[in-house]
Amino acid sequence: MMNRIFWGLVDISSRMLDPEEREVVRGDLAESGETGSHALSGVLGLVVRRQAALWTDWRPWLALVGLVVPLGMLLSIVSKSTADGSAVYIWMYANNWDWDFVRNAGFRYELAHCIPIVFMPYLMLVCWSWTCGFVLGSVLRRVIRLNSVLFCLMLLFGALLGAPRYFEYYWQYLHRAFSFPALPVQNDPVFALTFYRVMLPLIVQAFLVVIPSVSGMRQGIKAAWFRPLPRAVMWTMAIAAIATMVIQNRIWLFPGLHFHTPIQRASQIYLLEFVACWPAGYFVTSAFRRHWSRKIASV
Amino acid sequence: MLGEFEYLLLTAARRLGEDAYGAAIRQEIEVVTGQRCSIGALYTTLDRLEVKGFIKTWMGDPTPQRGGRAKRMVRVTADGVHAAGDFYGAVTRVSQGVSWAPSRGKIR
Repeated sequence: MMNRIFWGLVDISSRMLDPEEREVVRGDLAESGETGSHALSGVLGLVVRRQAALWTDWRPWLALVGLVVPLGMLLSIVSKSTADGSAVYIWMYANNWDWDFVRNAGFRYELAHCIPIVFMPYLMLVCWSWTCGFVLGSVLRRVIRLNSVLFCLMLLFGALLGAPRYFEYYWQYLHRAFSFPALPVQNDPVFALTFYRVMLPLIVQAFLVVIPSVSGMRQGIKAAWFRPLPRAVMWTMAIAAIATMVIQNRIWLFPGLHFHTPIQRASQIYLLEFVACWPAGYFVTSAFRRHWSRKIASV
Repeated sequence: MLGEFEYLLLTAARRLGEDAYGAAIRQEIEVVTGQRCSIGALYTTLDRLEVKGFIKTWMGDPTPQRGGRAKRMVRVTADGVHAAGDFYGAVTRVSQGVSWAPSRGKIR
Protein backbone atom coordinates (compact mmCIF):
# COMPACT_ATOMS: atom_id res chain seq x y z
CA MET A 1 0.00 0.00 0.00
CA MET A 2 2.73 2.47 1.07
CA ASN A 3 4.80 1.41 -1.93
CA ARG A 4 1.91 2.29 -4.26
CA ILE A 5 1.52 5.68 -2.60
CA PHE A 6 5.26 6.33 -3.03
CA TRP A 7 5.11 5.33 -6.70
CA GLY A 8 2.13 7.63 -7.15
CA LEU A 9 4.22 10.45 -5.66
CA VAL A 10 7.13 9.48 -7.95
CA ASP A 11 4.76 9.83 -10.89
CA ILE A 12 3.61 13.27 -9.73
CA SER A 13 7.05 14.62 -8.85
CA SER A 14 8.65 13.32 -12.06
CA ARG A 15 6.26 15.58 -14.01
CA MET A 16 8.49 18.44 -12.91
CA LEU A 17 11.26 17.02 -15.12
CA ASP A 18 11.58 17.56 -18.86
CA PRO A 19 9.60 14.90 -20.78
CA GLU A 20 12.75 13.23 -22.16
CA GLU A 21 14.47 13.10 -18.80
CA ARG A 22 11.28 11.85 -17.13
CA GLU A 23 11.18 8.98 -19.59
CA VAL A 24 14.81 8.05 -18.91
CA VAL A 25 14.53 8.32 -15.13
CA ARG A 26 11.31 6.30 -14.94
CA GLY A 27 12.94 3.67 -17.14
CA ASP A 28 16.04 3.54 -14.89
CA LEU A 29 13.87 3.16 -11.80
CA ALA A 30 11.84 0.37 -13.42
CA GLU A 31 14.98 -1.44 -14.55
CA SER A 32 16.82 -1.23 -11.23
CA GLY A 33 13.76 -2.44 -9.28
CA GLU A 34 13.90 0.37 -6.71
CA THR A 35 11.50 0.49 -3.79
CA GLY A 36 8.95 3.31 -3.86
CA SER A 37 10.64 5.32 -1.11
CA HIS A 38 14.09 5.15 -2.74
CA ALA A 39 12.62 6.02 -6.11
CA LEU A 40 10.83 9.01 -4.60
CA SER A 41 13.93 10.32 -2.84
CA GLY A 42 15.92 9.87 -6.08
CA VAL A 43 13.41 11.72 -8.23
CA LEU A 44 12.92 14.49 -5.66
CA GLY A 45 16.70 14.89 -5.42
CA LEU A 46 16.93 15.29 -9.18
CA VAL A 47 14.01 17.73 -9.29
CA VAL A 48 15.59 19.87 -6.54
CA ARG A 49 18.95 19.86 -8.33
CA ARG A 50 17.32 20.81 -11.64
CA GLN A 51 15.33 23.64 -10.06
CA ALA A 52 18.35 24.87 -8.11
CA ALA A 53 20.46 24.85 -11.28
CA LEU A 54 18.00 27.23 -12.95
CA TRP A 55 18.50 29.69 -10.10
CA THR A 56 22.24 29.94 -10.62
CA ASP A 57 21.46 32.41 -13.41
CA TRP A 58 20.72 36.07 -12.55
CA ARG A 59 17.53 36.27 -14.64
CA PRO A 60 15.20 34.27 -12.35
CA TRP A 61 16.33 36.44 -9.43
CA LEU A 62 15.61 39.60 -11.40
CA ALA A 63 12.19 38.22 -12.32
CA LEU A 64 11.53 37.32 -8.70
CA VAL A 65 12.38 40.80 -7.45
CA GLY A 66 10.93 42.65 -10.44
CA LEU A 67 7.74 40.67 -11.06
CA VAL A 68 6.80 38.00 -8.53
CA VAL A 69 7.19 40.10 -5.39
CA PRO A 70 5.56 43.34 -6.67
CA LEU A 71 2.71 41.58 -8.49
CA GLY A 72 2.08 39.26 -5.53
CA MET A 73 2.06 42.16 -3.09
CA LEU A 74 -0.09 44.33 -5.33
CA LEU A 75 -2.65 41.57 -5.89
CA SER A 76 -2.78 40.79 -2.22
CA ILE A 77 -3.44 44.46 -1.40
CA VAL A 78 -6.10 44.74 -4.11
CA SER A 79 -7.69 41.47 -3.03
CA LYS A 80 -7.85 42.60 0.59
CA SER A 81 -9.35 45.98 -0.30
CA THR A 82 -11.88 44.29 -2.63
CA ALA A 83 -12.87 41.82 0.08
CA ASP A 84 -13.22 44.63 2.64
CA GLY A 85 -15.24 46.75 0.23
CA SER A 86 -17.67 43.93 -0.49
CA ALA A 87 -17.79 42.87 3.19
CA VAL A 88 -19.65 46.04 4.11
CA TYR A 89 -22.38 45.42 1.54
CA ILE A 90 -22.59 41.70 2.26
CA TRP A 91 -22.87 42.40 5.99
CA MET A 92 -25.47 45.08 5.38
CA TYR A 93 -27.76 42.66 3.55
CA ALA A 94 -26.83 39.18 4.84
CA ASN A 95 -26.52 40.02 8.55
CA ASN A 96 -29.51 42.32 8.68
CA TRP A 97 -31.82 40.47 6.36
CA ASP A 98 -35.53 40.60 6.92
CA TRP A 99 -37.99 39.18 4.38
CA ASP A 100 -40.31 42.09 5.07
CA PHE A 101 -37.78 44.40 3.41
CA VAL A 102 -38.34 42.63 0.09
CA ARG A 103 -41.83 44.07 -0.14
CA ASN A 104 -40.33 47.55 -0.17
CA ALA A 105 -39.64 48.81 -3.72
CA GLY A 106 -36.87 51.15 -2.50
CA PHE A 107 -35.08 48.21 -0.86
CA ARG A 108 -35.33 46.14 -4.02
CA TYR A 109 -33.95 49.03 -6.07
CA GLU A 110 -31.02 49.47 -3.67
CA LEU A 111 -30.33 45.73 -3.64
CA ALA A 112 -30.24 45.59 -7.45
CA HIS A 113 -27.92 48.60 -7.39
CA CYS A 114 -25.59 46.91 -4.86
CA ILE A 115 -25.14 43.61 -6.69
CA PRO A 116 -22.89 45.06 -9.42
CA ILE A 117 -21.06 47.12 -6.81
CA VAL A 118 -20.10 43.87 -5.07
CA PHE A 119 -19.55 41.66 -8.09
CA MET A 120 -17.86 43.99 -10.59
CA PRO A 121 -14.76 44.38 -8.36
CA TYR A 122 -14.75 40.58 -7.98
CA LEU A 123 -14.78 40.20 -11.77
CA MET A 124 -12.01 42.76 -12.12
CA LEU A 125 -9.99 40.96 -9.45
CA VAL A 126 -10.33 37.66 -11.32
CA CYS A 127 -9.18 39.32 -14.55
CA TRP A 128 -6.23 41.06 -12.90
CA SER A 129 -5.17 37.85 -11.14
CA TRP A 130 -5.38 35.86 -14.38
CA THR A 131 -3.39 38.57 -16.17
CA CYS A 132 -0.67 38.59 -13.50
CA GLY A 133 -0.46 34.79 -13.73
CA PHE A 134 -0.31 35.02 -17.53
CA VAL A 135 2.58 37.51 -17.40
CA LEU A 136 4.48 35.35 -14.90
CA GLY A 137 3.86 32.21 -16.94
CA SER A 138 5.06 33.89 -20.16
CA VAL A 139 8.20 35.39 -18.66
CA LEU A 140 9.24 32.66 -16.22
CA ARG A 141 8.42 29.53 -18.20
CA ARG A 142 11.41 27.50 -17.03
CA VAL A 143 11.30 28.63 -13.41
CA ILE A 144 7.56 29.00 -13.09
CA ARG A 145 7.10 26.10 -10.65
CA LEU A 146 9.12 27.52 -7.81
CA ASN A 147 8.03 31.06 -8.67
CA SER A 148 4.36 30.09 -8.55
CA VAL A 149 4.92 28.76 -5.02
CA LEU A 150 6.72 31.99 -4.07
CA PHE A 151 3.92 34.00 -5.67
CA CYS A 152 1.31 32.17 -3.56
CA LEU A 153 3.46 32.72 -0.47
CA MET A 154 3.56 36.44 -1.28
CA LEU A 155 -0.22 36.44 -1.52
CA LEU A 156 -0.53 34.60 1.77
CA PHE A 157 1.97 36.93 3.41
CA GLY A 158 0.01 39.91 2.18
CA ALA A 159 -3.29 38.47 3.33
CA LEU A 160 -2.19 37.35 6.76
CA LEU A 161 0.40 39.91 7.74
CA GLY A 162 1.01 42.80 5.50
CA ALA A 163 -1.41 44.23 3.02
CA PRO A 164 -4.25 45.46 5.19
CA ARG A 165 -1.99 46.93 7.81
CA TYR A 166 0.86 48.67 6.01
CA PHE A 167 -1.28 51.65 5.19
CA GLU A 168 -2.74 51.86 8.67
CA TYR A 169 0.66 51.63 10.34
CA TYR A 170 2.04 54.26 8.00
CA TRP A 171 -0.85 56.58 8.65
CA GLN A 172 -0.70 56.03 12.42
CA TYR A 173 2.99 56.91 12.30
CA LEU A 174 2.17 60.12 10.40
CA HIS A 175 -0.60 60.84 12.91
CA ARG A 176 1.72 60.43 15.91
CA ALA A 177 4.81 62.05 14.42
CA PHE A 178 3.39 64.86 12.33
CA SER A 179 -0.09 65.37 13.75
CA PHE A 180 -1.81 64.14 10.62
CA PRO A 181 -5.56 63.64 11.16
CA ALA A 182 -6.38 60.28 12.74
CA LEU A 183 -7.88 57.56 10.58
CA PRO A 184 -11.63 57.52 10.86
CA VAL A 185 -13.04 54.47 12.59
CA GLN A 186 -15.38 52.96 10.02
CA ASN A 187 -17.46 49.83 9.71
CA ASP A 188 -16.49 48.48 13.11
CA PRO A 189 -19.59 46.27 13.44
CA VAL A 190 -18.63 44.56 10.17
CA PHE A 191 -14.98 43.91 10.94
CA ALA A 192 -15.66 42.95 14.54
CA LEU A 193 -16.91 39.68 13.02
CA THR A 194 -14.12 37.17 12.35
CA PHE A 195 -15.77 36.07 9.12
CA TYR A 196 -15.50 39.51 7.48
CA ARG A 197 -12.16 40.40 9.05
CA VAL A 198 -10.29 37.12 8.38
CA MET A 199 -12.29 34.52 6.49
CA LEU A 200 -13.74 36.58 3.63
CA PRO A 201 -10.35 38.02 2.56
CA LEU A 202 -8.89 34.50 2.57
CA ILE A 203 -11.84 33.09 0.59
CA VAL A 204 -11.58 35.93 -1.93
CA GLN A 205 -7.87 35.38 -2.24
CA ALA A 206 -8.16 31.61 -2.68
CA PHE A 207 -10.98 31.62 -5.24
CA LEU A 208 -10.57 34.95 -7.02
CA VAL A 209 -6.80 35.34 -6.93
CA VAL A 210 -4.93 32.04 -6.53
CA ILE A 211 -7.07 29.89 -8.88
CA PRO A 212 -7.21 32.49 -11.70
CA SER A 213 -3.48 33.22 -11.28
CA VAL A 214 -2.56 29.55 -11.64
CA SER A 215 -4.84 29.27 -14.68
CA GLY A 216 -3.18 32.38 -16.15
CA MET A 217 0.28 30.88 -15.56
CA ARG A 218 -0.67 27.73 -17.47
CA GLN A 219 -1.95 29.79 -20.39
CA GLY A 220 1.09 32.07 -20.21
CA ILE A 221 3.44 29.11 -20.64
CA LYS A 222 1.51 28.05 -23.77
CA ALA A 223 1.59 31.60 -25.14
CA ALA A 224 5.32 31.30 -25.83
CA TRP A 225 4.47 29.21 -28.90
CA PHE A 226 2.03 31.75 -30.34
CA ARG A 227 2.86 33.78 -33.43
CA PRO A 228 4.42 37.23 -32.86
CA LEU A 229 1.27 39.23 -33.68
CA PRO A 230 -1.16 37.51 -31.29
CA ARG A 231 1.60 37.51 -28.69
CA ALA A 232 2.10 41.25 -29.10
CA VAL A 233 -1.68 41.84 -28.78
CA MET A 234 -1.83 39.71 -25.64
CA TRP A 235 1.12 41.51 -24.10
CA THR A 236 -0.46 44.90 -24.84
CA MET A 237 -3.69 43.77 -23.20
CA ALA A 238 -1.83 42.38 -20.20
CA ILE A 239 0.17 45.58 -19.68
CA ALA A 240 -3.01 47.66 -20.00
CA ALA A 241 -4.79 45.42 -17.47
CA ILE A 242 -1.96 45.70 -14.95
CA ALA A 243 -1.87 49.47 -15.52
CA THR A 244 -5.60 49.55 -14.74
CA MET A 245 -4.99 47.64 -11.53
CA VAL A 246 -2.30 50.09 -10.45
CA ILE A 247 -4.35 53.16 -11.40
CA GLN A 248 -7.58 51.88 -9.85
CA ASN A 249 -5.90 51.04 -6.58
CA ARG A 250 -3.58 53.99 -6.31
CA ILE A 251 -4.95 54.99 -2.93
CA TRP A 252 -3.01 52.07 -1.51
CA LEU A 253 0.18 52.95 -3.31
CA PHE A 254 0.23 56.66 -2.52
CA PRO A 255 -1.76 56.92 0.70
CA GLY A 256 -0.90 60.51 1.47
CA LEU A 257 -2.06 61.78 -1.91
CA HIS A 258 -5.33 60.10 -2.56
CA PHE A 259 -6.87 59.02 0.69
CA HIS A 260 -10.56 59.98 0.84
CA THR A 261 -10.43 61.05 -2.78
CA PRO A 262 -12.92 59.08 -4.85
CA ILE A 263 -11.43 57.46 -7.93
CA GLN A 264 -12.15 59.64 -10.91
CA ARG A 265 -14.30 57.72 -13.35
CA ALA A 266 -12.94 59.25 -16.52
CA SER A 267 -13.87 57.61 -19.79
CA GLN A 268 -10.28 56.35 -20.17
CA ILE A 269 -10.72 54.41 -16.92
CA TYR A 270 -13.83 52.70 -18.29
CA LEU A 271 -11.92 51.83 -21.45
CA LEU A 272 -9.03 50.42 -19.42
CA GLU A 273 -11.48 48.44 -17.28
CA PHE A 274 -12.93 47.00 -20.47
CA VAL A 275 -9.45 46.08 -21.70
CA ALA A 276 -8.68 44.51 -18.31
CA CYS A 277 -11.41 41.94 -19.02
CA TRP A 278 -9.31 40.61 -21.92
CA PRO A 279 -9.01 37.11 -20.37
CA ALA A 280 -12.67 36.58 -21.35
CA GLY A 281 -11.77 37.45 -24.96
CA TYR A 282 -8.76 35.15 -24.77
CA PHE A 283 -10.90 32.18 -23.69
CA VAL A 284 -13.56 32.85 -26.33
CA THR A 285 -10.90 33.10 -29.06
CA SER A 286 -9.18 29.91 -27.82
CA ALA A 287 -12.50 28.05 -27.82
CA PHE A 288 -13.18 29.19 -31.41
CA ARG A 289 -9.68 28.15 -32.51
CA ARG A 290 -10.09 24.71 -30.92
CA HIS A 291 -13.52 24.32 -32.53
CA TRP A 292 -12.25 25.26 -35.99
CA SER A 293 -9.10 23.14 -35.80
CA ARG A 294 -11.25 20.13 -34.81
CA LYS A 295 -13.59 20.86 -37.68
CA ILE A 296 -10.71 21.14 -40.15
CA ALA A 297 -9.16 17.92 -38.82
CA SER A 298 -12.42 16.02 -39.27
CA VAL A 299 -12.78 17.11 -42.91
CA MET B 1 40.40 19.21 -13.64
CA LEU B 2 37.72 16.61 -13.01
CA GLY B 3 35.95 16.14 -9.73
CA GLU B 4 36.11 12.73 -8.07
CA PHE B 5 32.51 11.79 -8.92
CA GLU B 6 33.03 12.96 -12.48
CA TYR B 7 36.04 10.67 -12.67
CA LEU B 8 34.05 7.72 -11.27
CA LEU B 9 31.36 8.34 -13.83
CA LEU B 10 33.74 8.63 -16.76
CA THR B 11 35.55 5.45 -15.70
CA ALA B 12 32.30 3.49 -15.30
CA ALA B 13 31.05 4.71 -18.69
CA ARG B 14 34.34 3.81 -20.37
CA ARG B 15 34.38 0.35 -18.77
CA LEU B 16 30.79 -0.33 -19.94
CA GLY B 17 31.64 0.79 -23.47
CA GLU B 18 28.71 0.35 -25.87
CA ASP B 19 26.40 -0.59 -22.97
CA ALA B 20 26.94 2.63 -21.02
CA TYR B 21 23.66 4.28 -20.06
CA GLY B 22 22.20 5.85 -16.89
CA ALA B 23 21.06 2.79 -14.93
CA ALA B 24 24.10 0.66 -15.90
CA ILE B 25 26.58 3.40 -14.93
CA ARG B 26 24.77 3.88 -11.64
CA GLN B 27 24.93 0.16 -10.89
CA GLU B 28 28.61 0.00 -11.81
CA ILE B 29 29.45 2.89 -9.47
CA GLU B 30 27.43 1.33 -6.62
CA VAL B 31 29.15 -2.06 -7.05
CA VAL B 32 32.65 -0.54 -7.20
CA THR B 33 32.29 1.99 -4.37
CA GLY B 34 29.79 0.08 -2.22
CA GLN B 35 27.78 3.28 -1.79
CA ARG B 36 24.47 4.45 -3.16
CA CYS B 37 24.59 6.66 -6.21
CA SER B 38 21.63 9.02 -6.42
CA ILE B 39 19.82 9.61 -9.70
CA GLY B 40 20.07 13.35 -9.10
CA ALA B 41 23.86 13.26 -8.78
CA LEU B 42 24.17 10.93 -11.78
CA TYR B 43 22.15 12.96 -14.27
CA THR B 44 23.34 16.40 -13.20
CA THR B 45 26.95 15.18 -13.44
CA LEU B 46 26.27 13.65 -16.87
CA ASP B 47 24.96 17.04 -18.00
CA ARG B 48 28.03 18.79 -16.63
CA LEU B 49 30.39 16.35 -18.36
CA GLU B 50 28.51 16.76 -21.62
CA VAL B 51 28.78 20.54 -21.40
CA LYS B 52 32.53 20.16 -20.84
CA GLY B 53 32.67 17.94 -23.91
CA PHE B 54 33.93 14.86 -22.03
CA ILE B 55 30.98 12.66 -22.96
CA LYS B 56 28.32 12.50 -25.63
CA THR B 57 24.79 11.32 -24.80
CA TRP B 58 21.80 10.36 -26.94
CA MET B 59 18.47 8.68 -26.49
CA GLY B 60 18.63 4.91 -27.00
CA ASP B 61 15.93 2.41 -27.85
CA PRO B 62 13.20 1.51 -25.35
CA THR B 63 13.41 -1.97 -23.80
CA PRO B 64 10.72 -4.16 -22.18
CA GLN B 65 12.54 -4.44 -18.81
CA ARG B 66 12.35 -0.63 -18.59
CA GLY B 67 8.60 -0.62 -19.15
CA GLY B 68 9.12 0.39 -22.79
CA ARG B 69 11.06 3.52 -21.84
CA ALA B 70 14.13 4.87 -23.60
CA LYS B 71 17.70 4.90 -22.21
CA ARG B 72 20.14 7.80 -22.16
CA MET B 73 23.19 6.26 -23.79
CA VAL B 74 26.66 7.61 -22.95
CA ARG B 75 29.96 7.58 -24.83
CA VAL B 76 33.22 9.00 -23.48
CA THR B 77 34.86 11.36 -25.96
CA ALA B 78 38.59 11.71 -26.66
CA ASP B 79 38.66 14.83 -24.45
CA GLY B 80 36.98 12.78 -21.70
CA VAL B 81 39.62 10.04 -21.99
CA HIS B 82 42.34 12.67 -21.80
CA ALA B 83 40.79 14.39 -18.75
CA ALA B 84 40.29 11.06 -16.94
CA GLY B 85 43.94 10.10 -17.70
CA ASP B 86 45.14 13.44 -16.30
CA PHE B 87 43.06 12.97 -13.16
CA TYR B 88 44.34 9.43 -12.65
CA GLY B 89 47.94 10.56 -13.18
CA ALA B 90 47.54 13.38 -10.69
CA VAL B 91 46.01 11.08 -8.06
CA THR B 92 48.73 8.49 -8.60
CA ARG B 93 51.53 11.07 -8.35
CA VAL B 94 50.12 12.80 -5.29
CA SER B 95 49.59 9.44 -3.55
CA GLN B 96 53.18 8.21 -3.91
CA GLY B 97 54.84 7.60 -0.57
CA VAL B 98 51.75 7.99 1.60
CA SER B 99 50.82 5.18 3.96
CA TRP B 100 47.61 4.07 2.19
CA ALA B 101 49.11 3.90 -1.29
CA PRO B 102 50.41 0.46 -2.44
CA SER B 103 54.23 0.29 -2.64
CA ARG B 104 55.76 -0.15 -6.08
CA GLY B 105 55.38 -3.75 -7.22
CA LYS B 106 53.16 -5.01 -4.39
CA ILE B 107 49.61 -4.34 -3.35
CA ARG B 108 48.69 -4.47 0.31
